[in-house]
Amino acid sequence: MDEFDDKEITKLLRLKRYEQPPPGYFENFLHEFHRRQRDEFLRQPLWRICVDRAHDFMLQLSLARLTSYPAAVTAVLVCAAVVSLKLYQTPEPTNVAVQDRQILATPANPDGEWTLASPVATRVFSTRSLHNSNPSAQTHRTATTPRYVLDSVPVSYETTFKF
Amino acid sequence: MDQPRVDEDRELVARAQAGEAAAFDELVVKYSPRLYGLVYNMTSNHEDTNDLLQDVFSKAYKAIRGFRGKSSFYTWIHSIAVNMTLNFLKKRGRRYQLSLDDVDAGVQNDKVFLEATATSSPVREADLSELQKRLNEAMMKLSDEHRAVVTMFHIQGMPHAEISKILRVSEGTVRSRLFYANRQLQNYLDEFRKNPVT
Repeated sequence: MDEFDDKEITKLLRLKRYEQPPPGYFENFLHEFHRRQRDEFLRQPLWRICVDRAHDFMLQLSLARLTSYPAAVTAVLVCAAVVSLKLYQTPEPTNVAVQDRQILATPANPDGEWTLASPVATRVFSTRSLHNSNPSAQTHRTATTPRYVLDSVPVSYETTFKF
Repeated sequence: MDQPRVDEDRELVARAQAGEAAAFDELVVKYSPRLYGLVYNMTSNHEDTNDLLQDVFSKAYKAIRGFRGKSSFYTWIHSIAVNMTLNFLKKRGRRYQLSLDDVDAGVQNDKVFLEATATSSPVREADLSELQKRLNEAMMKLSDEHRAVVTMFHIQGMPHAEISKILRVSEGTVRSRLFYANRQLQNYLDEFRKNPVT
């Protein structure tokens, strides 16, 4: 009795090439493919369509070749880091400035004398009022109420030593 | 089976990557019959084949911009088809329906067909259609991976090297799977010859 050898198996298997789909299948296949693509497209959320369109637009501009995605992401992260550093390093306005805006507006030394003292310190602890232009009034403390600006937090809570 | 011209595909792929839908349509028309044979002989079901084939081209359409041309489009699209079919078969399990269509009427004049039926062999002795039915049953008894190799080599006529690229295994693995699958098919068909009634 003959047995099936590799050659016979191969011949039989080759016949399977002729197993075809129903007539007209391949003619309709492309139409079916387009229909499915349309259905799939319509099922997509609006944001995804927008992203796809934007992506297509970028590709048309060939920007993708110039800037890769990792480079773009890195650039965005670096920008964000720089901006956040700038924001954190900006000094907050002190209470002094708010409370004594009028004094701050004046020059530190109205007499024009050159001084090494810090302008802020000078301004904060200045007891002169702008409105007090009379030199004689400077000797009378009662004439104008001195304005002291103190820190809201005490320097120390420790008890003072008495000898 | 003739291998498609790579240059021709490259141009079509480039146009499809640039967003020209008509170019992708050409690729669909060109590869759908070939891929149909591949998927159908792995699933043995027309409806499943149709759905899978639509999904294969849909996936390829979405991914074509990422295709860098490291392999030919032919290999790439076949890889998608084989992997998707294997995944599908794993999900489907061993359930299958033999809905094999009749051999095309036009085949009666085909050289290969005439050659196969004219030989003095078990093929001639047994009823060809019955034998084909048994062969299909035997094919479905193979594991999915072995059936994939048999389909690509014997039915699609792909060389070992191409199959190894598609399956991402060595050529040695392809050959060993083929050898094992041939032995399996041979055993099933011999059994049928000895006990034709069962």
